[in-house]
Amino acid sequence: MTTLTRKEILSRLKDLAGPGGYLEDRVDVEPFEVDFRKLYKGATPLVLRPDSTERISKIMKFCFETGTAVVPAGGNTGYCGGATPDESGEQIVLSLARLNKIRSVDPMNYTLTADAGCTLVQVQEAAEQVQRLFPLSLGAEGSCHLGGNLSTNAGGTAVLRYGNTRDLVLGIEAVLPDGRIVENLKGLRKDNTGYDWKNLFIGAEGTLGIITGAVLKLFPTPRSYGTAMVALRDLDASVELLSMLRERSGDAVTTFELIPRLAMELACRHIDGVKDPLDQPYDWYALMELSCATDEVQTQELLETLLGEAFESEVIQDAALANSGAQREAMWRMRENIPEAQSHEGPSIKHDVSVQVSRMPAFIREATTLVKKLVPGCRVVSYGHLGDGNVHFNLSPSEGDRDPIFLEQAKRVNHAVHELIAQYGGSISAEHGIGRLKRDELAVYKSEAEIQLMRAIKAALDPTGIMNPGKVL
Amino acid sequence: MKKIMVGLKRVVDYNVRIRVKPDGSGVITDGVKMSINPFDEIALEEALRIKERGEAEEVIAVSIGPADAQQQLRTGLAMGADRAILVQTDKLVEPLDAARTLLKLIEKESPELVIVGKQAIDDDNGQTGAMLAALWDRPQGTCVSEVTFADGKATVTREVDSGLETIEVDLPAVLTADLRLNEPRYVKLPDIMKAKRKPLETVSLDDLGIALDPQLEIVKTDPPAQRQKGVMVEDVDGLISALKDKGLL
Repeated sequence: MTTLTRKEILSRLKDLAGPGGYLEDRVDVEPFEVDFRKLYKGATPLVLRPDSTERISKIMKFCFETGTAVVPAGGNTGYCGGATPDESGEQIVLSLARLNKIRSVDPMNYTLTADAGCTLVQVQEAAEQVQRLFPLSLGAEGSCHLGGNLSTNAGGTAVLRYGNTRDLVLGIEAVLPDGRIVENLKGLRKDNTGYDWKNLFIGAEGTLGIITGAVLKLFPTPRSYGTAMVALRDLDASVELLSMLRERSGDAVTTFELIPRLAMELACRHIDGVKDPLDQPYDWYALMELSCATDEVQTQELLETLLGEAFESEVIQDAALANSGAQREAMWRMRENIPEAQSHEGPSIKHDVSVQVSRMPAFIREATTLVKKLVPGCRVVSYGHLGDGNVHFNLSPSEGDRDPIFLEQAKRVNHAVHELIAQYGGSISAEHGIGRLKRDELAVYKSEAEIQLMRAIKAALDPTGIMNPGKVL
Repeated sequence: MKKIMVGLKRVVDYNVRIRVKPDGSGVITDGVKMSINPFDEIALEEALRIKERGEAEEVIAVSIGPADAQQQLRTGLAMGADRAILVQTDKLVEPLDAARTLLKLIEKESPELVIVGKQAIDDDNGQTGAMLAALWDRPQGTCVSEVTFADGKATVTREVDSGLETIEVDLPAVLTADLRLNEPRYVKLPDIMKAKRKPLETVSLDDLGIALDPQLEIVKTDPPAQRQKGVMVEDVDGLISALKDKGLL
């Protein structure tokens, strides 16, 4: 093949994407050049928006032949810059936004097949229509794409009961870097026929190929929920309470989110309609939810009994129980808006780390002491999915401080926190992935043999390195 | 004031997506989350605030409905009501019958103030409060967004179409609560535990000498017509020709 000029390549890509299948005006392209957290400002000459797997296949085949780098993009809600092109201006963005159909729902098989560009809410609602539950749920669910959820193996708020995204997928359809389509959308729960290759793409952040569709597991919709905002005795009580609740409820705990006082204050201050459900301030809260197949009265009784015991044994100091859907929603809104509330307090230095649940309180205490030494006056908001051993350990500058110097300390702070998490036998990225943000650190905290294995997989699937270059590895 | 009586109706939770029974005879309530009618919850919150300000001594929560309505009354007790009365019936109770029943309870309890929601979100009738005031032959303040008390009178701010209207009513009176009157509290665990020991009395319509006298017959229940899916037009010309096609231009 004769070498094409850049202009010719772009023009050919537009043809392949079809009518309405691309964006190239600056104003349309710009949103794709900046990541959700505004950490990176990349550049791209063209955003492709193909509307079928076949078109994506043709586009990838052409990109493979011309050595054109492709960055797959979903709802742009990632925290690690995984879907943002680099600054070279050479990488093409491929948005899955128009691949957004629910392909089929099978309530008897408890499965749903969907395009990768469906928003998470779209998937949840399609399941709901047949009285089934797709349990993946996270703050960005209104705009994030299923493809992004799969590519980052997203966690969210129901991991405790239902697992990560990986645990919710029975099969995928993906386009390889050379344009071949690989597909297993049979919707089988048992299929031990060789390598389970879907799991290579799940969590690969678009570095091995483009996920274009998936068969997802559905679950029975719980008949009732019991939701409470609990004031804990102290940080250690969080682990005690969770353990007791799981044991005594028949593992009906679907949510157990740790919330510090500062997060509650910031949410009340910045988020419309959020108010503290309790009469007094407490140092630590947990937002907890039971999901049961029993009716509402029984669930409420179970919740009252268990929390009553925790109250008697002084594991908790108080609790507010949601007695309507509106109150339940308000409690969730508080939890889900913590990152938003914190963003009003200036830039934040973030960590998304995990350790064994039992070691979480000790880690939070030690890490807090550590960062307060490194950045005197900083405010620590450590909240998140305690039930999964995952905490978002985030720093805001001191009250009213808008000095940009705060963010310059991010690298130093990240390093110290990650060193500590390594000592605790934890992970530097629990659920947000690696993207561009943690690429260098991945190399530090993974063993040589693991990195070599990952590189071998990458080389086998993407020998010319056109898939989302500069991410993960 | 010695007593405030508050009416709490058990309704399908506001956040539940309503589904109509296939035969059109009503909406599906089986396995559906039920809650206190939100306007009644606001009514109760206001009664509790009046009591907490020291302007009333006792708050009585009452409900007319099935045995399961005890759950809503328990919630009312956990919020802070002192005692509760359930008038138990599995029949559909229309506003006039509800007002007649509440009047019987008023005759028994002699409250100086009765607060109910301005309407229930299930049938949206919005009549019970007004009918009760008429039957009781006492003043009413409806759609209340603010209320204060002095010298045996209530000063009431009402939300009306043209803005706000302030009226004065003599007590005893009936008030109906509007959305902006207050924001109801959450129930706290210790209060739930205390509420288990608060009295909840169950009476029947017979006990009160009420025979239901329905005035209405529900002929059919239909879900709202499905909205047709919109189409995206390419540009202004596309929009104009689409409007012309529909004969709108």
